[in-house]
Amino acid sequence: MELFTYLLLSGLTTGSLYALIALGIVVVNKSTGMINFAHGELFMFSGFVAWMLHVQMGMGYLPSFAIAVAVGFLLGAVTNLIAARPMRNADVVGLVLATIGLAFVFRGAARVIWGGKGDYLSFPPITSPDPVTIAGIMVIPQQIAVLAGAIVIMLVFAAFFRLTRAGKMMQATADNAKASRLVGIRIDRIYMLSFGTGAAIAAAAAVLMAPLTLLYPDMGFSFFIKGFAAAVLGGLTSLPGAVLGGFCIGVIEALAGGYISSSFMEVSAFIVIMFVLVLRPTGLLSFGKLRQV
Amino acid sequence: MLVIQHLKVSYGITQVLRDVTFEVPTGKIVALLGGNGSGKTTMLNTLSGMVRPSGGSILFEGKECAGLSADNVVRSGIAQVPQGREVWPSMSVQDNLELGAATRRDWAGIRSDIDDVLSMFPKLAMARKRRAGSLSGGEQQMVAIARALMARPRCLLMDEPSAGLAPAIVGDMVDTILALNKRGLTILLVEQNIGVAAAVAEQAHILQGGEITFSGPAAGLVDNPEVLRSYLGR
Repeated sequence: MELFTYLLLSGLTTGSLYALIALGIVVVNKSTGMINFAHGELFMFSGFVAWMLHVQMGMGYLPSFAIAVAVGFLLGAVTNLIAARPMRNADVVGLVLATIGLAFVFRGAARVIWGGKGDYLSFPPITSPDPVTIAGIMVIPQQIAVLAGAIVIMLVFAAFFRLTRAGKMMQATADNAKASRLVGIRIDRIYMLSFGTGAAIAAAAAVLMAPLTLLYPDMGFSFFIKGFAAAVLGGLTSLPGAVLGGFCIGVIEALAGGYISSSFMEVSAFIVIMFVLVLRPTGLLSFGKLRQV
Repeated sequence: MLVIQHLKVSYGITQVLRDVTFEVPTGKIVALLGGNGSGKTTMLNTLSGMVRPSGGSILFEGKECAGLSADNVVRSGIAQVPQGREVWPSMSVQDNLELGAATRRDWAGIRSDIDDVLSMFPKLAMARKRRAGSLSGGEQQMVAIARALMARPRCLLMDEPSAGLAPAIVGDMVDTILALNKRGLTILLVEQNIGVAAAVAEQAHILQGGEITFSGPAAGLVDNPEVLRSYLGR
């Protein structure tokens, strides 16, 4: 039981990060109908920016977090400008290749900028690394901090989406782009805002995650694929679905690693994608028609 | 008020509108009739800035509007009520109305306009917090009209507002169009329902194959043999 509780908490912590990555993927897909395959690299790059500010330049964790999120937003907007906007009328293959190409550019840029500092960069913990026992359950404070941080970011994002005019315009464009244009909403700006917001959420996830793991230029893809699995599980257009999917993938991964084999952790996300695509292609919380991605 | 001169629109090599010229005088209701594929919706989308014309001019209150972006057309005072309602189904009626004023920044004015618009449509006032997608077809049509009014337009483009409505509701729609006109709105009404057009419009034009084939008073449309021959094929 103790192992199960530990694995569950660990799974919820990493799941909350997958949920944030999935949220970013869904925000972009919902508004623009595109999957940003450079999303994982935007996550990675923002993590490195936070590392540079916090570790190299000695800036506090929270200011580093805020600047990395702002940089993430800008990189997302640039992704829209370079890889998405010129390809708006292209076929699916063209759209996929454009963002995959940009992913390689971000990865290469990270190697050029931070590559000489060692293969894996460590981020200092933001809380005590020593485990504590709460109600008989061994807990690492860092995990609780990450989980709480992720939940706060989700709530802030939900408030932005539901309460602000920009958030409502994004939702309206996702609902019906033609109607949005007819009332004078500038769709190009909404697409840019969607890419920027999606990347900013990924950046927040990267900075939250950084103290738990090591940073390296190739880390983006494996996190992207977990986030993508979570987004698919939730239905690709459902924001609550993305959150639920993220937590599910995190918990499945932790339980698979704990009870079956640690080598099973990496493949569990792919197995989940396969099962969902076969059994429920529209996802857990999506009831719409199938969409071409 | 709205003067369309020699307007041409092409999709690739297909010319959809060929040299269309007509006028919508200030404070009047003008009907544009035509069958499927005649170019009516393309005409409205061109006037709304959704489609770029390949030639001709659109003068609104003396200013050239041809080729303006959709948001600038709304800012200049033209709003469209699109065909098939096209509301934002997952959003509340209130949010639909708020975003109808997307080009405005006068928050107090927007709030008072929402109350004003809802007083015109009491059914919507009661459904203010409901998702627009959960309303009936007639109510969604009201949301689409109310949302267009939130931009404070002086000219309203209505694309087949009676389409898909139950016959009993079509009468209400006619009353709504007349009430909007009484409030000072100039209206260009695109219709397939010749009865609705005859009931509300003063002037009518028939569009066929991208060209105006008939122009005349709307009241006599139903009895006009030329109209019946060219529009209804009798």
